[in-house]
Amino acid sequence: MFRFGIRHVFLAPLLVVLGGIVAYPLLYSLWLSVTNFNILKQGQTRFVGLDQYLGLPANETYVAALVNTLVFVGLAVAVELLLGLALALALQQVLPRRGRNVLRSFLLTPMFVTPIAVGLMFRFLLNQQLGLIPALLAQAGVRIDFFGSQLALFSIVGIDVWQWTPFMLLLMLAGLESLPTQPFEAARVDGAGTWFTFANVTLPLMRPVIAVAVLIRGLDAFKVFEYVFAITRGGPGTATETLQYEVYRTGFTFFRLGEAAAMAFVLVAIVLVLIVPLYRRVGER
Amino acid sequence: MKRLAAVFVSVWLLVVAFPYLWVLLASLKTPHDLIDPRSFVFAPTLDNWREVAASGIGNSVLSSAIVGLATVGIGVVVAVPGAYAISRWHAGGEATRFGILLSEVLPPAVLVVPLFLLAYNLGLRDTLVAVIASHLTFVLPVMTWFMVGFFDAVPKELEEQALVDGYGRIGAFIRIVLPQVLPGLGAAMIFGFVLSWNDLFYALILAGGKARTLPVAVAGYNTFRGVELGQMAVAILVSVVPVLVASFVVQKRLIRGISRGGLKV
Repeated sequence: MFRFGIRHVFLAPLLVVLGGIVAYPLLYSLWLSVTNFNILKQGQTRFVGLDQYLGLPANETYVAALVNTLVFVGLAVAVELLLGLALALALQQVLPRRGRNVLRSFLLTPMFVTPIAVGLMFRFLLNQQLGLIPALLAQAGVRIDFFGSQLALFSIVGIDVWQWTPFMLLLMLAGLESLPTQPFEAARVDGAGTWFTFANVTLPLMRPVIAVAVLIRGLDAFKVFEYVFAITRGGPGTATETLQYEVYRTGFTFFRLGEAAAMAFVLVAIVLVLIVPLYRRVGER
Repeated sequence: MKRLAAVFVSVWLLVVAFPYLWVLLASLKTPHDLIDPRSFVFAPTLDNWREVAASGIGNSVLSSAIVGLATVGIGVVVAVPGAYAISRWHAGGEATRFGILLSEVLPPAVLVVPLFLLAYNLGLRDTLVAVIASHLTFVLPVMTWFMVGFFDAVPKELEEQALVDGYGRIGAFIRIVLPQVLPGLGAAMIFGFVLSWNDLFYALILAGGKARTLPVAVAGYNTFRGVELGQMAVAILVSVVPVLVASFVVQKRLIRGISRGGLKV
């Protein structure tokens, strides 16, 4: 039988606040997504069932945004994981005790930096006329338009890699430090080489950490917005449209909030698919 | 192997450091020097800094600070006892844990539409209250998640001893358990503040006018007329430097926060 005890006194404020600012808005948004709500035509709001959702596949910008976002997340997370893991292993090899903490702290800083500032920083650095990198490349005879339709999405991936590889590095370092030492000693006694040990001892032991890191980073990468807002605004054409940017545009420059809510709920579906395995791993206590 | 590793780390060090240095240099350049990206030797000027200071960016810094402090303050009052209940008594069961993890990863795109309409209907558009409420949607779950991990690490015996010594439940919590997790709480607070400080999406949509926070103001320098590039560099630095300082303070415990609370690596 339910008894209201001290535990509920402690927990209640948290649940009440989260209910008010997360659960209630979520339901409200679900309702909006089955209406044709437009803030400029509020009198004409009516229930339209699943029309907003069914209209999405025909919305070319939205489909482009969906594809771009998936490509972005897949590429960015893969590169960040590989770089993060490689850096963590390299750091373990080279670092003298003394400089270790300072160097590591410095390498981790990008993940704390305001993303809009990161976006503007790279827009500036990679700018055709005023940026240093194109200027240096031009000197070497190479002309690259980092934000042209061919490269723009990959440049955005590169910026994400700069900012978020540190997150992978942080988790990989924590993971490596928590590994048991016995398997490594056994491998050494058996005369296993560096690569053999890495592939057959380190990687299998790191698998849970890698899985969780990829899930967390992947879920976070779906939120990409600032770089697009700062640099390309979705262009050229639809080359860098992303879901979060598309929701912003549909909802807050065109004020079609019902449609924006439907777009956002597709994201919720993706998140739910990803979060269940994450919860299984984290929840096992 | 060692040499390869050293080269790799050095290259990455340059990759990380370079954008910071570039922006710092740009902030000290005159419009004339900015035209040539390869000019590394120039007469530094503080004009850009003076102009940005005069442009009222101070108001945005203040707004961001108020929002961050209020968000984290509410976080402490609400999330810390909640996390303790979840850690010690498994209060709310699996559903609560899952709900908190879900709200932590929910994309802002989902919540921004209803939050915008709520703010609109309540007359809270372009106010810091709306921004604080929106930031709580991600700061509360993160702080709760972290604190659950830190509370899990406090031995139960300490608290049982406190109860034997005649403290009540709440007394034991405040006098005995809380001091044990203070360093972790500090890290969770700083991390929550950084998350709030960095948000553009909610702040832009809910309060893009007079109540604008620093990231919104920084985004406003998004111009490529050469004259204002230097000022943009200053604005970038103004937003970046505080979080860089915070990152050095918080990192060590962040690993523990993520690994104990969030990840169980």
